[in-house]
Amino acid sequence: MILSDEHINYIIKDIAYRGIVDDDLGDELVDHICTLVEAKMEDGQRFIEAYDETIKDFGNDNKLNELQKQTIELSNNNTKIMIRNYFKIAFRNLVKHKFYSAINIAGLAAGVACSLLIYLFVANEMNFDKFHEDGDRIYRIVRTGKFSDNEFRYPVAPAPFANALVNEIPEIETAVRFRFNGTWLVKTPQMNESFKESQVIYTDSTFFDLFSFPLIEGNSKNVLNRPNTVAISRSIAEKYFKGVSPIGKSLLLDGEYNYEVTGVFEDMPANSHLQFNILMSLASTPEAQNEQWLSNNFFTYFKTKEGVNKEALQKKIQLFYENKAEPELIQYVGSTIEEFKANGNSVNMVLQPMEDIYLTSDFIFDIGTMGNEDSVLLFLVIAVFIIGLACINFMNLSTARSANRSKEVGIRKALGSVRSHLIRQFLLESIIISIISIIIGCLAAAVMLPLFNHLADKSLTFPGTPLFYLALLGFALFIGVIAGTYPAFFLSSFRPINTLKGKLSSGAGGSAIRSGLVIFQFLISIILIIGTLAIQKQLDFIQNKKLGFNKNQLVMVNDPYMLGDKRDSFKEEIEKLSSVASCSYSGFIPVNGYNRNDNTYWEKGVSPSQDNTISLQMWQVDEDYVQTFEMELIEGRNFDNTIASDSVGLIFNEEAMRRFGYENIDDKWIQTYAFDQTTRSVINEEFENYKIIGVVKNFHFESMKENIGPVAMRMGRSTGLLSVRLNTEDYQSALQLIESKWNEFANGLPFNYTFLDDQFDNMYKSETKLGELFAIFSGLAIFIGCLGLFALAAFMAEQRIKEIGIRKVLGASVKEIVLMLSKQFTKLVLFAFVIAAPISWWAINTWLDSYVYRITLGFEIFLIAGFSAFLVAWITVGYQSIKAAVSNPVDSLKSE
Amino acid sequence: MHSPELLKGTLQTIILKLLADSGKMYGYEITQRVKELSGGMLTLTEGALYPTLHKLEAEGLLSTEKISMGKRVRKYYLLTPTGTNTAAQKIEDFEAFIATMFKVLQIKPQLG
Repeated sequence: MILSDEHINYIIKDIAYRGIVDDDLGDELVDHICTLVEAKMEDGQRFIEAYDETIKDFGNDNKLNELQKQTIELSNNNTKIMIRNYFKIAFRNLVKHKFYSAINIAGLAAGVACSLLIYLFVANEMNFDKFHEDGDRIYRIVRTGKFSDNEFRYPVAPAPFANALVNEIPEIETAVRFRFNGTWLVKTPQMNESFKESQVIYTDSTFFDLFSFPLIEGNSKNVLNRPNTVAISRSIAEKYFKGVSPIGKSLLLDGEYNYEVTGVFEDMPANSHLQFNILMSLASTPEAQNEQWLSNNFFTYFKTKEGVNKEALQKKIQLFYENKAEPELIQYVGSTIEEFKANGNSVNMVLQPMEDIYLTSDFIFDIGTMGNEDSVLLFLVIAVFIIGLACINFMNLSTARSANRSKEVGIRKALGSVRSHLIRQFLLESIIISIISIIIGCLAAAVMLPLFNHLADKSLTFPGTPLFYLALLGFALFIGVIAGTYPAFFLSSFRPINTLKGKLSSGAGGSAIRSGLVIFQFLISIILIIGTLAIQKQLDFIQNKKLGFNKNQLVMVNDPYMLGDKRDSFKEEIEKLSSVASCSYSGFIPVNGYNRNDNTYWEKGVSPSQDNTISLQMWQVDEDYVQTFEMELIEGRNFDNTIASDSVGLIFNEEAMRRFGYENIDDKWIQTYAFDQTTRSVINEEFENYKIIGVVKNFHFESMKENIGPVAMRMGRSTGLLSVRLNTEDYQSALQLIESKWNEFANGLPFNYTFLDDQFDNMYKSETKLGELFAIFSGLAIFIGCLGLFALAAFMAEQRIKEIGIRKVLGASVKEIVLMLSKQFTKLVLFAFVIAAPISWWAINTWLDSYVYRITLGFEIFLIAGFSAFLVAWITVGYQSIKAAVSNPVDSLKSE
Repeated sequence: MHSPELLKGTLQTIILKLLADSGKMYGYEITQRVKELSGGMLTLTEGALYPTLHKLEAEGLLSTEKISMGKRVRKYYLLTPTGTNTAAQKIEDFEAFIATMFKVLQIKPQLG
């Protein structure tokens, strides 16, 4: 006897009616009951009697429900299933609230991506020069001090210092000197064309003892100890000596100097501040034998023996230097060290630890590109801020949203959930979100890394260590737990009776915290906006400030010294070109990074002492210099090479006039010591005299961070560059003309040129970079902040949907409702602005203080920043408010 | 009729053994089989059977197969590899238990 469908349907319905809700069990029971009923009907009973009897055998509803309860309990009493259930519920919740989940994940992912990039950058910056063995025993000598009005800080030391240190101070193991001499044109004798190499430096043979740069070929004991020898990097070896060993081969530098290769070293790692391709032996240059203690041209590094105390050593070296320098001080300035100090002057030898050099050096010139501790710190702070913003967002949304789940909590509790289950459930949800966000954030960071590298001028990569990813996972868990803790403990503490009755459903209690978090977010956003605006304004100021010369339309042709005797005719040919207004030979260029030549001068006729000597820059230029750079001559006249006496003539800048206290240039002579040109040491009892023939208006020749110092120009041979003033906007054809002239003269030497305004922009590269990164980060911070605000506004509107409906029914207009909803957020943003304004005012002023020439912070920056923050907040909140306000009250009020 | 109390501890063993012997069975079939084998001395109630079946399934000892029969769905249980091992283990345990019980209660086993 088989039951008909009708009967089966009856049983299915009845079973459900009796309270069997588990589908799986239900099916099974139906089948079971059907079979029993069939058996009874075979015995002749009617369906309904058979069914009734069967149910009675089962023990009626109570027993049936007991069966179901036991089945569910027993089959769920298994941790694996419980955990699977947590995940299931968590994912269902994420999917159910797609909008909030997406905002949550997007915000956190953006924060993670950005912080991760900053972390990579900072980690890279902090990791410079850490690879040297005994790196903690390597120091560089830095000379700081004050002489008459001049304060100076230079990373260079006198030539004899290094040797004297090793020979006379037992704590010191080895020392090495570097002398920079610009770029070189390099080729092998067999090659026709030269290449320009810029990472070239003179150094001592101790280089490979002191630093941990592995030598691949050659003997570290004698690699650089003969004159005219070089050590080259692996990439240079491959470039010039492909496939053969370069040892013993020769390289031709600047077309005339023959150097023998005695060593090949591994390319210097990217995280070294020393970046050189070619090391030339210092023994090659007579300057290295200079014995003067007051002339400072050598970057000097040394390694101490083990266990040497830095402070004690520094004192010892200071004394050592003073003893060595005193005889010369007496000879040239006429005072002993004590008198020198008594007059407020000082020279200090400071030891700079190798591992700190990269981040703590901010000298006007240096041995390589240096980082900046402040910007590293600043970025670190920004990273913390941004990740903080994202976390706040995350917490804010989780708490806000969890209030909507109070009914769920009530029901779960009523059904037998205990508090720890709920806590686990909520924590798991937030951990899942944070893990998803961090994965997306990492992917985003990986995608944006090339762009970031381009912006920051770096080649960062993700570290391959598992520890890094473990740390990320740990971070995800941490964020998840932090963000989930509040809702988890708060919600799980609800009493089911209250939540189910509808009390607490608004999730009160969190609102003060939420407001605080919104204020904090906007605080940071506003500070970042103000920072961005101020940096931009300062940059504009620098770009547009009157420099005292014209930086536009100036082309610098490099390496004209290679033309030798043909230099002058080359210049004449260039001057004849129609697109050239004028041109001038000089290596002294008014942007930083070019030749500087400091020396002491005094008024002719007085005997030099520390009170009347003035440290002056002496630039060697030719007669077309003032005209080519379009400097403004305010007194006297320009050089004239037909007047013989102009060889001792000088053109001062206004600052030099001020320093000497001159009102006019009538028969003003100044004097200095004569120099031996090869060893660059002073010749005793011999002086050089100069007469001032003109004055130019002050012009900026260093970054705006520096004051304009005194400069004198004299006619002389300095052929580092040919500066060409163009009188056309058509740079391309002008450059082609110049290049074709160069090729006529230079037989195969490469034509290298730069534009002065590019060089000028280069000088402010770090500021520009800072500005760009700041803009990006503040954009990101605002984006994250708005995401949070948007979601929060949506949530609030949702919470008040009935209130809005009733208000509308009672006659409130859309405008009134929008205002009502926006008012609260407006207050928060206003409050944030009030706190942000003074903080950012202080921060920006601190930054601007590093500039001598700077903007003053006006109100407009604050107004613009405040207004844009408000605008963004209003748009964000407004969208939600309007959406809520225009909704039909019938929809919101019809239920309940 | 034996008291259901006595049955309680052996329920899992019975189910596993039955499934080990006959491959796959559904709930009703199991109750009938127990009745048949015990000569009516043991009745497996649904209230005891189904929770146990579901528990064993949740623990991964049993897997299920559903066969649709028109309006009805019949759910067959069968042993998983772990279930097979556990079945053997449980029967061994039970044998040892009975041997111990004989000793404790000083009963002579009546074979056959």
